[in-house]
Amino acid sequence: MVTIRISSLVKRFGDVVALDHLDLDIAAGELFFLLGPSGSGKTTLLRAIAGLHLPDAGTIHFDEDDVTRLPPHRRETGMMFQSYALWPHLNVFRNVAFGLEERRVPKTEIRRRVDEALAMVKMDGLGARRVHELSGGQQQRVALARALVIRPRCLLLDEPLSNLDSKLRVEMRAEIRRICKEFGLTAVYVTHDQKEALSMADRMAVLDAGKIVQTGTPVDLYRRPRSAFVSSFVGETNLIEGTIATVSGDEYSIHTETGDLSARLAAPDWKPAPGDLVILSIRPECLSLHVDPPAENAITGRLIESVYLGETAQYSLKCEERETPLHISELNPHRVIRDTETRFHATAKPEDIVILKS
Amino acid sequence: MSRSLAITIYAGTAIFFALFFAFPIWHTVEEAFVTADGTITLAYFAELFRNPLYLEGLVNSFFMGFFTTVLALVIALPLALIGNTWQFRGKEILHALLLVPLVLPPFVGALGVRQFLGQAGVLNTFLIDLGLMDASAPFDWLGEGRLVGIVLMNALHLYPIAYLNISAALANLDPAMEEAAGNLGCHGIRRLFRITLPLIMPGLFAGATIIFIWAFTELGVPLIFDFDRVTSVQIFEGIKDLSGNPFPYALVVVMLVATVLFYLAGKWCFGRDNFASSGRASTGRVLRSASPFGGLCCAGLFALVTAVAILPHIGVVLLSLSRDWYGTLLPTALTGQHYEDALGHPLTIHSIANSLKYASLATGLDVLLGIGIAYVVVRTRLPGRQFLDAIAMLPLAVPGLVLAFGYLAMTREGKPFDFLILGEDPILILVIAYAVRRLPYVVRSAAAGFQQTSVSLEEAAQNLGSTPMRALRKITLPLIAANLIAGALLAFSFAMLEVSDSLILAEQQQHYPITKAIYALISSLGTGPNLASALGVWAMAFLTVTLLGAGILLGRKMGALFRV
Repeated sequence: MVTIRISSLVKRFGDVVALDHLDLDIAAGELFFLLGPSGSGKTTLLRAIAGLHLPDAGTIHFDEDDVTRLPPHRRETGMMFQSYALWPHLNVFRNVAFGLEERRVPKTEIRRRVDEALAMVKMDGLGARRVHELSGGQQQRVALARALVIRPRCLLLDEPLSNLDSKLRVEMRAEIRRICKEFGLTAVYVTHDQKEALSMADRMAVLDAGKIVQTGTPVDLYRRPRSAFVSSFVGETNLIEGTIATVSGDEYSIHTETGDLSARLAAPDWKPAPGDLVILSIRPECLSLHVDPPAENAITGRLIESVYLGETAQYSLKCEERETPLHISELNPHRVIRDTETRFHATAKPEDIVILKS
Repeated sequence: MSRSLAITIYAGTAIFFALFFAFPIWHTVEEAFVTADGTITLAYFAELFRNPLYLEGLVNSFFMGFFTTVLALVIALPLALIGNTWQFRGKEILHALLLVPLVLPPFVGALGVRQFLGQAGVLNTFLIDLGLMDASAPFDWLGEGRLVGIVLMNALHLYPIAYLNISAALANLDPAMEEAAGNLGCHGIRRLFRITLPLIMPGLFAGATIIFIWAFTELGVPLIFDFDRVTSVQIFEGIKDLSGNPFPYALVVVMLVATVLFYLAGKWCFGRDNFASSGRASTGRVLRSASPFGGLCCAGLFALVTAVAILPHIGVVLLSLSRDWYGTLLPTALTGQHYEDALGHPLTIHSIANSLKYASLATGLDVLLGIGIAYVVVRTRLPGRQFLDAIAMLPLAVPGLVLAFGYLAMTREGKPFDFLILGEDPILILVIAYAVRRLPYVVRSAAAGFQQTSVSLEEAAQNLGSTPMRALRKITLPLIAANLIAGALLAFSFAMLEVSDSLILAEQQQHYPITKAIYALISSLGTGPNLASALGVWAMAFLTVTLLGAGILLGRKMGALFRV
């Protein structure tokens, strides 16, 4: 169990800057997620921690040890590759035993520890199988056992669930989190699936263009994003541009093209002043539809699309003043409105509207 | 792999190629342009082009190369198209057999052709028996059309190269390209000419280039047919009095320049568009099942081509078994005596041992160099690694005869590499010569292996505590073993069958490799040709097994081994 401290890390591939003076601290025992669009540098960062990429500048520390220049085979990290990277010429047992053999662990202990690791991922008794005889989910478990059996200083996971079907994915999320917590492992987990990150992470970081744009708990990132990028990357949202009209305490009134809106939430380290250009982020599930105009925060238009999804109904509301329709999601709908003639009013509570820097 | 090791491999390979590839060529070129007193002259070339004998040789060599290539393509293209479209019974085995002629030494096969087409040969006997020919004035097929016989022999030997290249190109061709054409109403022969052929042209060209260079400079077959009006044989004859004779050097340079010019011209005409970069196949090619009758036709065609191609070698087998075969359809009496004699003859035992020694040492050298080069090219980001890849492929584009001649020139007494001839023993220079020419096969197959093996398999081993070298040894090498073995087998077979280097560089009888021993036996009187045939049959049996093994290990990927 280690803390991982990354300072001012830079990695270039030719002219492309993959990591741009990146700083990050990961606490001991934390299940930490790196989330970002493809090309944002999250896998590069993970591979730099594993030692598979040598950074051009900056340092990486495990606790007090500077591991920046340490070759991968001396870092004691356990990595799970996106493709699993199970060796097809070795059977399940030999795959898992490999790291212990490299460490010259006595034969009897190897047997005991491999069996233990296989039992932990519920693969006991399958040691003699060849890799190609396993299903995707089983391969994934073997890869996890192989990474854990060496008792690594930290576990690194590179989109480990991306090749599984959705049902198995949900199952494995809980499984991986259980194992990490059981061992108190520091784990870094790369994904582009925000649901995976929100449901599993202790803390997470959103990356964009080689930089970390925000770090925090899943609730922080979802409820209090600090930029339009984070709010639209983590979950879905409606972004509305506006200008601060008045401020009283933590009540803001914002002038927008669809009318005046009042909001209460802003990033904690920033206090907008009247006249500031801002972007409002309103999650679809924070909006509700009404026939009668509500008291405040009304956005008016006609429905152009209604989609019924069982647990939700999703509407697109086209306002005359705005190009992009407003997305509204109603939970537990008992009917779907398919009326395209009537003018509807959408509204959200002030505490559900987030004010972002423009 | 650490950067310093990669640089060491790079530098080592570069030096090896400078010494044993660039230098022999350069040395030959130098001798061709510089007179004894050190002035630069074009006189040798002027003289050469005034001599009708040399001119005729060049023209004949060109014909030999050109028609061999055309004929090989004519044989291979329909087969490759059929093989990549239809599924029929017995295809796997027929497919493997189709490649066998590649390792049957063509100059041994030429012995068989002589037996069939000679004045007292099988064809004439047959015609006389039918009453179509006057027994007192038999037609001399090989006297009138020796060049035709050589072209035929070469084409039947080399068509597998074209077949493998075209098959590989077809396998890489996205079937959706053809389906799209079909969807737009273009199919059958029209689609073949408008879509398929243009798209596989680079693969076709790659195969054609190798065949042309091979046939243009072929030495063994014309020697056996006793046809000295081709440049390759003229060079070989010229070696006998090399001191003070600049013409062999000049001829070698002319041959080299012509090869390069033909290659560039061909590349300019056919190879300009590289369609290979337009993405790999999105879906696998699905083979259609042929109807029972259609399947029989396909299988028949494959079997027919193979049968015709190995007919000369069947002649060799018969010759090796015959006590007497002159002026009859089949040998009149059979005997196993030649095989015993062949193994008892002082020349043969030595030559088999020598060939095994030279070829396995050369193969070992190739495997070492090949793994190193392929690793640097595929797995590192070292600047200039593409250049390394390119020079490792160059020996395919330079005629073996040119290199062999260069080696001979640079190891003569008083020349800088004289020390490589240990006393009289040419083992070092022969091993190097064999290794250089076969290196491309090993590099290609190793590189293919590295490309197919995900780098994350090595990274996972490093992550679990293996050093990079250990990860390479424990994970990647076992995984690409099939590729390496196949490449090595191929290198080994071709080394065993090597003609130019063997005939030119091995001068003492006790150092003869198999090929030179066969050549020596053929020219000797009495049962010489029978003994040569017996020795050839030993070699062929051995090599057939080798290539079948390589074919099974590599499958369709074999085509990638023959690309420049």
